[in-house]
Amino acid sequence: MSTRSQGTTLFSAILILVATTVVVQLWLLSFSMEALLRHQFKPLTPAAIASTVLFCVNGGLLRYVFRFDRDVQRNTEG
Amino acid sequence: MNSGIEKSIEIAGCASCASCVKTPQSLQDFPIEWEGDHYVSRREMVKFLTLGSFLLVLANWATAFARSMIRKDSSTVLRLGPASDLAQNGALLFRYPTPQDPCIAVRTQEGALVAYSQVCTHLSCAVVYDKSADQLVCPCHRGVFNVDRGAPIAGPPTRPLARVKIEQRGDHIFATGLEV
Repeated sequence: MSTRSQGTTLFSAILILVATTVVVQLWLLSFSMEALLRHQFKPLTPAAIASTVLFCVNGGLLRYVFRFDRDVQRNTEG
Repeated sequence: MNSGIEKSIEIAGCASCASCVKTPQSLQDFPIEWEGDHYVSRREMVKFLTLGSFLLVLANWATAFARSMIRKDSSTVLRLGPASDLAQNGALLFRYPTPQDPCIAVRTQEGALVAYSQVCTHLSCAVVYDKSADQLVCPCHRGVFNVDRGAPIAGPPTRPLARVKIEQRGDHIFATGLEV
């Protein structure tokens, strides 16, 4: 399998993963809002931390995409 | 920029020539070329979603810090009046802790003294005491709250009424704080 077609499959998988984590973050936000309106403050900080962790995962995947593109470009030029 | 399209439209009419490529009807109807017409690559989508993810993190932390802005308790003590004003199975309206916060004190059928914010947790209409059913009722959308705990028992409200701490000292009733 060529690097290009590998990249296509890989980016599709990354896209699905990132979309899933964003949906989970949306759920966390709606859960936090509901808890806030019920005056239940305990789960707010853990929800924010979980959301941050998911964002870090997304950021890591985006960084991987950039690095993959850079490596492919370097190999093509070289 | 759209010379290629015009050319392709010109040759689209040529049915006899085998080398001519038939232009799709959509391009004949809308012969405007826009490079990468609304095309979003996977990489751009990942970038966009990661940006959205960052905004969601900000919103989540804003929610976490918003709790410090919510009034947890009020130490204001307000005298509501003589206890005789609040007969059994009766209600008394007052404003606490500020003149903008309507509240209702109720002496239940069992004789217990309870007080709640009068603001319905559905759409902020004022709840009233229904003596016959011993319940707090919102007349706007028929929301019903339990008088003992302020919990919603019927209608659209899903959250309980904010409870006001109330005390009877001698012959007088005092509001001493808000329970959240």
